[in-house]
Amino acid sequence: MHEWALAEAVVEATASALETRNPACLRGVTVSVGELQAIDHEIFTFALNTLREQRPFRQAVYRLETEPARLRCGACGTEWGLSETAGLDSESREAIHFLPEAAHAFVRCPRCASPDFQVTAGRGVRIISITVDASGSCAEGPASP
Amino acid sequence: MIDPRGSVIQRRLAGVARVVAVCSAKGGVGKTLCTTAAGAALAARGRRVGILDLDLQGSTAHLFLGAAPGLPEEDKGILPAAVGDNLGLVSAAMFAGNRALALRGPEITDAILELMAVTQWGDRDVLLIDMPPGIGEEVLDLARLVPRLEALVVSTPSAASTLVVERLLAFLAEMKVPVRGVIANMVRGDEASVREMARRFGVPLVGVVGWEPELEQALGSLVRLRQSKAAASLVEALEEVGL
Repeated sequence: MHEWALAEAVVEATASALETRNPACLRGVTVSVGELQAIDHEIFTFALNTLREQRPFRQAVYRLETEPARLRCGACGTEWGLSETAGLDSESREAIHFLPEAAHAFVRCPRCASPDFQVTAGRGVRIISITVDASGSCAEGPASP
Repeated sequence: MIDPRGSVIQRRLAGVARVVAVCSAKGGVGKTLCTTAAGAALAARGRRVGILDLDLQGSTAHLFLGAAPGLPEEDKGILPAAVGDNLGLVSAAMFAGNRALALRGPEITDAILELMAVTQWGDRDVLLIDMPPGIGEEVLDLARLVPRLEALVVSTPSAASTLVVERLLAFLAEMKVPVRGVIANMVRGDEASVREMARRFGVPLVGVVGWEPELEQALGSLVRLRQSKAAASLVEALEEVGL
């Protein structure tokens, strides 16, 4: 249930992003979920919806989008995805789930075996967009990518 | 894109009365000893203590405390590993074990944000943060993420230490992070150089910890650590700063 903590962060950030806008005008929030962190979407969605009920934007819909993980080797420039990453057992995957930077302890470049790499996409949880009803008394959403 | 993690950090620390970074820009001066021995001794006195080992690439707090690093338990976040009574530890070693964790600056910031956002510290009298050497992401990020951050600064009497620690004291003043005290560690002669440095920065010297070769034998034993002379000196230092 580590997903719960991240869901709390998303809901809190949603409230902050609304600033002075009427929370009743919030329609939806799109959340990018990085493949590397391997968040359980079902638990995460359940947590988001449960936490949303305690807020004045309970009508808002949280939508999740998985962002594929991309890694780039600093030594040879190879770019690769998580499916091409060998040698991750369940314990190392769990460690990366808790702390995506733990990938640096377990992952190596598939071409040159260098430990010098960067995660260029699909690390963790981010809010991509917040959609606010623009009609009537509602204003444009303040959050932009 | 909005990174949501910073939004929840104050909530995570809501039950923590004091957040104290134990720091020194110089490596090898005993920050981890001061953090763990003080934490262990405070916990033995019934204080609820959290220790966050932010030396991501050189984490050893678990070694000092005799805690076996392993993946954390979860309850709506990750739970600090219980070390004896009243003491909880979070360390990168729980995730990376004893493997090298070679991180660049933004990755260090990401790791700090993640740990701060998902750790459920609960109710604690103090969270002691074992800082890495240097004046980098860890200091900058903590000062930004934890506005009520306080600092305890550790230095040995060596000029090689005080020269660098002076930079940190000046930097913390610039960052408006209150330094509650300076601790002179590994003192074999006198601590005059550390006392003089503290005086110049208007910070009290709150503790003097003598050189204690037997400490090596205390590593891995919470009982020996909290019975060490260092722990006794450090508890006095922490009492000086109201902990």
